[in-house]
Amino acid sequence: MSCGNHHDVPCVQIHSWMWIYLDNELEQDSAHLVGHHLEECPPCADQFTAERIIQTRIRQCSETVQTPEGLRTRIFTQIQQTITE
Amino acid sequence: MNVIALDPSVVGSSVMSTETKEATAERFERDVAPFFDSLYGAALRMTRNPTDAEDLVQEATLKAFAAFDSFSEGTNLKAWLFRILTNTYINQYRKKQRAPLQTSADELTDSQLNDVGEHLGMRSAEAEAMARLADGEIVDALAALPEDFRMAVYLVDVEGFSYKEAAEIMETPVGTVMSRLSRGRKQLRELLRDYAAERGFIASEVKS
Repeated sequence: MSCGNHHDVPCVQIHSWMWIYLDNELEQDSAHLVGHHLEECPPCADQFTAERIIQTRIRQCSETVQTPEGLRTRIFTQIQQTITE
Repeated sequence: MNVIALDPSVVGSSVMSTETKEATAERFERDVAPFFDSLYGAALRMTRNPTDAEDLVQEATLKAFAAFDSFSEGTNLKAWLFRILTNTYINQYRKKQRAPLQTSADELTDSQLNDVGEHLGMRSAEAEAMARLADGEIVDALAALPEDFRMAVYLVDVEGFSYKEAAEIMETPVGTVMSRLSRGRKQLRELLRDYAAERGFIASEVKS
């Protein structure tokens, strides 16, 4: 998906960097290029928004997991036992 | 780098050689406590079964305590715990399945690495529709991913580990993490898209 306009860095290159950029793992110079491209390219900016929505949603739904009652106590009691043996 | 001291996951308490076993146990419990829900959550995603997850957390925590002396203060405790959890799981898994985990680093090709970040061309409207799926459906989609991919997606997307930390936890090169992450994400998005289409949130064929 390209907007058809000319960019210093082509959309296809931005696509291959997008996830790395999303994860804050892209080295600074490239991150700068991506940031600049996203400002001037609505389709890429929209794709980036989409990726961020999905990542945020995945993170949210996993926050609901809670350790069952008693597991922690059971484990640390067992640790206490191992050191008194 | 002083920045590291600001990271709450880095534990700074100092080890005293004179520390009693009881004091070590207390320090261990105190340091590990903040990561307990994360560890259980990770175990649940790996085993996909609450009983196995409890057993896994228990075994991994006991191992971590036994190895606590070897943990270097000032390094990332959460990543260290996750590495032990992951290794424990892999060992159990191998015992049960009698089969090694699939893809290894040496099988990685340049073209696979080039796949990193190759997208489905998802639009924000679609992503919003996919985000309307219930928690359970998203968890199911994650669970449906192949082992290695699921682990990479889980460590980075859910737990927020850096590529380097995920690589240490999975004991693979960073490039392997990136490749697994990219393939895992791609599959996950396809699944979420299918689920969202089934629920009528988006039209079935909207690929542009």
